[in-house]
Amino acid sequence: MSTPLIQLTGLTKTLKGQGEPRPILSGVDLTVRAGESVAILGRSGSGKSTMLSVIGLFDRPDGGQYLLHGDDISRVPERRAARLRSTEFGFVFQRFFLLKHLSAMQNVAMALVNGQGWHARRKRRDKVMAALEQVGIAHLAKQKPQRLSGGEQQRVAIARALVREPRVLLADEPTGALDTETGALVIDVLHAATDRGCGLILVTHDHAHANRMQRVVRLADGVLVQERQQGVLR
Amino acid sequence: MALSGRFRSALVIGGQGIRARKLRTFLSMLSLFLGVLAVVTVQAGAEIANRALLSDIELTQGKDGSVTAYLQSFEGSSEIIEETLRGQSDVVAATSVQAIVGEPDVKPVNPGGSPIDQTDMYSSGGSMICDNRGCRPTEDATRPPGQAVEMRLTGLGGDIRPIRPLQLESGRWLEFGGEPSLAPSLVLNRAAAKAFERYRVPAEMRVGDSRTHATPRIVGVVNDGGQAPAAYVRADELANWQPATSNQNSSVELSYWPSSERLVQTLEARLSAAGMQGDIYRRVADSREHIGGQLDLMRMIFLGMAALVLLIGVAGILNVGLATVGERVEEFALRRAVGTPRLLLAGIVLAETLIIGLLTAAAAVGAGVVGLEMASRLFGAREPMLQNVAFPWQAGVAGVIAGVVAGVLGGLLPAIRAARIPIATVMRA
Ligand SMILES: Nc1ncnc2c1ncn2[C@@H]1O[C@H](COP(=O)(O)OP(=O)(O)O)[C@@H](O)[C@H]1O
Ligand SMILES: [Mg+2]
Repeated sequence: MSTPLIQLTGLTKTLKGQGEPRPILSGVDLTVRAGESVAILGRSGSGKSTMLSVIGLFDRPDGGQYLLHGDDISRVPERRAARLRSTEFGFVFQRFFLLKHLSAMQNVAMALVNGQGWHARRKRRDKVMAALEQVGIAHLAKQKPQRLSGGEQQRVAIARALVREPRVLLADEPTGALDTETGALVIDVLHAATDRGCGLILVTHDHAHANRMQRVVRLADGVLVQERQQGVLR
Repeated sequence: MALSGRFRSALVIGGQGIRARKLRTFLSMLSLFLGVLAVVTVQAGAEIANRALLSDIELTQGKDGSVTAYLQSFEGSSEIIEETLRGQSDVVAATSVQAIVGEPDVKPVNPGGSPIDQTDMYSSGGSMICDNRGCRPTEDATRPPGQAVEMRLTGLGGDIRPIRPLQLESGRWLEFGGEPSLAPSLVLNRAAAKAFERYRVPAEMRVGDSRTHATPRIVGVVNDGGQAPAAYVRADELANWQPATSNQNSSVELSYWPSSERLVQTLEARLSAAGMQGDIYRRVADSREHIGGQLDLMRMIFLGMAALVLLIGVAGILNVGLATVGERVEEFALRRAVGTPRLLLAGIVLAETLIIGLLTAAAAVGAGVVGLEMASRLFGAREPMLQNVAFPWQAGVAGVIAGVVAGVLGGLLPAIRAARIPIATVMRA
């Protein structure tokens, strides 16, 4: 069997806010293979976002091991983490986080203009348009975010996540701010990305969305519990 | 390639940042513009005052580093001086005598050659001679008062202006080439010109005890820094109508740069051989050192003001910069999430304020140059201090430094804040 894309073993994370330090993750084990899609369920405040931010290298774990393609990146320095965020991961959030003074195109292009390599304007444009095409809103390329609906904005955000052709998409409640119908559309778009071999970790409260993923796990009391294992066939 | 990718990314991100906040950028530029303009103004003012102070002293004492040597003339001295210094222009001899210009045989309006505005105070003093036989009125004092001005008349062996930069105010300066004219050409100083105008003095001249009256031609007016009436003439033209005997009590000044000391030593040896008593007294002009204390104090005060003003500009840009980072927390967190290195982000924030600071400084310096030019054109006629003032480059440099300092200080804190933003906290839904 090939090396897993992501392999977490006994991952721990304690957050210290104003009050007592609170252990949020206390031994998370998770393996994600290339092209695999995983749904993460869990009640609010259980630490799902914290886990995604550790996987996405926004933050580092306190203990345990994090292997990316077999490389131990549990203690990766910030410079390398920034490069990995750029090349390996695509992020989608509940709030779309679009820059309001930039057009849809520029919002997607900002993932390419990040100081990690350089694409000539022409190449950049082609990549941006391909990503917008992939999420079905190429015709809205010139629009500023405030002229777009919620679903359209989230699709711009997904195009931004896809434009660098990441190996894994991290989506944190991407449908949380959308109505059911629009949410389903967004999940379709994310799902289509896995058809191209991109891994997907989807945090959601919606069982219907979760059930479209190959595997479903639940985060409770700081550990992951297998909820449903699906065969390779869907 | 990696570096150029970073640099180009930085340009795009910084440009987007500035364009997204045009009003903010404009306001922060405005505060810094005023600050830098104030620094430039203060610095230009200090330079102009400095220059004016120095040039006044240079007018009377010669440029810094030049030497003035003094000797008392005696029988035959002028011939030796003339012969020794002939055919060169490095050492200029200036022979001064008292002269009265105006109506013949009258008491001058300023007996003794005192400044004409002080004539009333000194008139009695100037008209007495005191010696071992007691005090008595001078010959002039017994004459009826009339329209004549007593002045110090300086015969120049060559052009003295490379050392004493007399400023031509009207007409022309003396010409030292060619044969001496029989009608002497006079250049008056300001005080003499004013006296001539006020008392409508006819041009006729008595020199010392000489009875040979000459009709001078007044060809120009200079500012020589003196308050008492004075005039300048070619030494050979002065000699033409001044009897040789009357130069006995005149004093001679030699002006030269230290490199010509040998020639002066030669002259000194010849004069001693001819019977000169004692040595030639030499004085090296050190006006900068002399007024150094005053200038230092002035500069300190100006520097203090400039620093204060700069601080205000920095506070302005810092305020705007910090407010902007607060607004941009999400943007920076997002940019870091998509892989932008935090050092690059900090650099961009710093570069934004630095560029704003530099552009603003350049604009303020430009405004200073134009403003000074306008002031010089509008008020130059009334304020001689503002005449022909070139923009002091020190002010330009100070302005640019102020802009850079404001940019760095105003950008550093926001840059550090931008680099420290925790992505996870901002992005948590
Ligand atoms: N910066 C922080 N410091 C301390 N506690 C935090 C911080 N951020 C979040 N938490 C707490 O950590 C827990 C997990 O948060 P989060 O990962 O966002 O949960 P979820 O995404 O599952 O709703 C919550 O109880 C939250 O209050
Ligand atoms: Mg969450």
